[in-house]
Amino acid sequence: MSNLPESYAPGHEPNSENAEQHAEPLVLIEMIQRLKVRDVMTSKLVTVERASTLRQVQSLMKAKRISGVPVEEGGRFLGLVTINDILRALEGGYIDETCQKHMSTKLVVLEDDMPLSFALRYFENYHYGRFPVINREQKLVGIICQRDINRALLLELANELNRIESEWVLSKATDQPFNLYVLREFPVSKYDFENAGKAANTVKQILKEKNFPPKVIRRIAVAAYELEINLCVHSDGGSLSWQLSNGRAEIIATDSGPGIPDLEWACKDGNSTANEWIRSFGFGAGMGLVNVKRVADEFEIESTIGVGTRVKAVIYIDSKLKTEV
Amino acid sequence: MTVLEAARRLNAEVIVEGDAIANPIRHVVASDLMSDVLLVDEEDILLLTSLASDQVLRTAHIISAVGVIVVNGKSLPNSMVQVARDLGITLIKSDKNKYDACIAVHEALGCP
Repeated sequence: MSNLPESYAPGHEPNSENAEQHAEPLVLIEMIQRLKVRDVMTSKLVTVERASTLRQVQSLMKAKRISGVPVEEGGRFLGLVTINDILRALEGGYIDETCQKHMSTKLVVLEDDMPLSFALRYFENYHYGRFPVINREQKLVGIICQRDINRALLLELANELNRIESEWVLSKATDQPFNLYVLREFPVSKYDFENAGKAANTVKQILKEKNFPPKVIRRIAVAAYELEINLCVHSDGGSLSWQLSNGRAEIIATDSGPGIPDLEWACKDGNSTANEWIRSFGFGAGMGLVNVKRVADEFEIESTIGVGTRVKAVIYIDSKLKTEV
Repeated sequence: MTVLEAARRLNAEVIVEGDAIANPIRHVVASDLMSDVLLVDEEDILLLTSLASDQVLRTAHIISAVGVIVVNGKSLPNSMVQVARDLGITLIKSDKNKYDACIAVHEALGCP
């Protein structure tokens, strides 16, 4: 605990009286139990050191539009400077003094593998605007605020609605399987090998239940899986979406960075930037994009360093389309 | 030969009985690189691997494998067993090393 601010309290459940008594829909309860804090938190952190002045923090808050900045040195989380600390400093005339002197060190933190339901209870009980997030090694890995939760829940709800909608459409359109319309989107987190592949497995399951031709299912599933693993292994996180309409399956992987410096090189057999850790999961042979190209009827990739990558693979379900191209 | 028969020939332990446990094996792939496994286009594949991770089963599901044999007596994480159950994939654990397991399956399939 020596590298944490005092009053560190992860795992301690705050007063949760009546928390279970709200009549939330089951789907929402399942969602907040399933999602982990790490799925929701902001992991691109803006931090300062103890010697930074409160004025520097104020400028940083203004530039980045944030209201709390963690104080961290060499991976050690030392405290937090909030917008209230800045307001007090302005009133008290000590805005040019250091963070070390005025940062908040009596902090409540969350752990990244806690369920989102924990975070919601913390917000309800502690009335703080944000909570720093640490991992099992007690390193600061993120920060979570209400806005992050709203964004994640809206995305999940949209996915859930899409799922319900697509099931409904599928159930209504079994006589015209090639022309039905399905759209689903799955978030994929960086290095989340626990969940990587689930989206592709779900896609395959749906197609199998609807009796699509096995060879077509295999090609769609392989493309979806390779792209999902790529997002997990190489990106800073992104999403995998798939659309089924008018005899085509379209799979799109979009991420928010870091971008591929040499697309030609990345699309060649055996070229990979994966490390040994990734290879220990069975990936990183440099065949991912090659394999997607192999199974796809159409393949597009675009990437910008620092912005992100978008890969689109299209597979024709209706063989007539092949002859039209 | 079915996956169940292959397990018997290898004196291996069946951890999860999946949907295709009684299906005949038509092709065998032995690899620890799932990227390579995904390149195989055959049907009714038996996958032999020394990799004990959830991704082995997710890959097996994608290629509609009839089963997975984890060799080298590797201990299987609980999550792997759960994923096998969720996806209906037969999961088998063998104490043989990969080379010996391949030979045993090869002979059991009656290959020359």
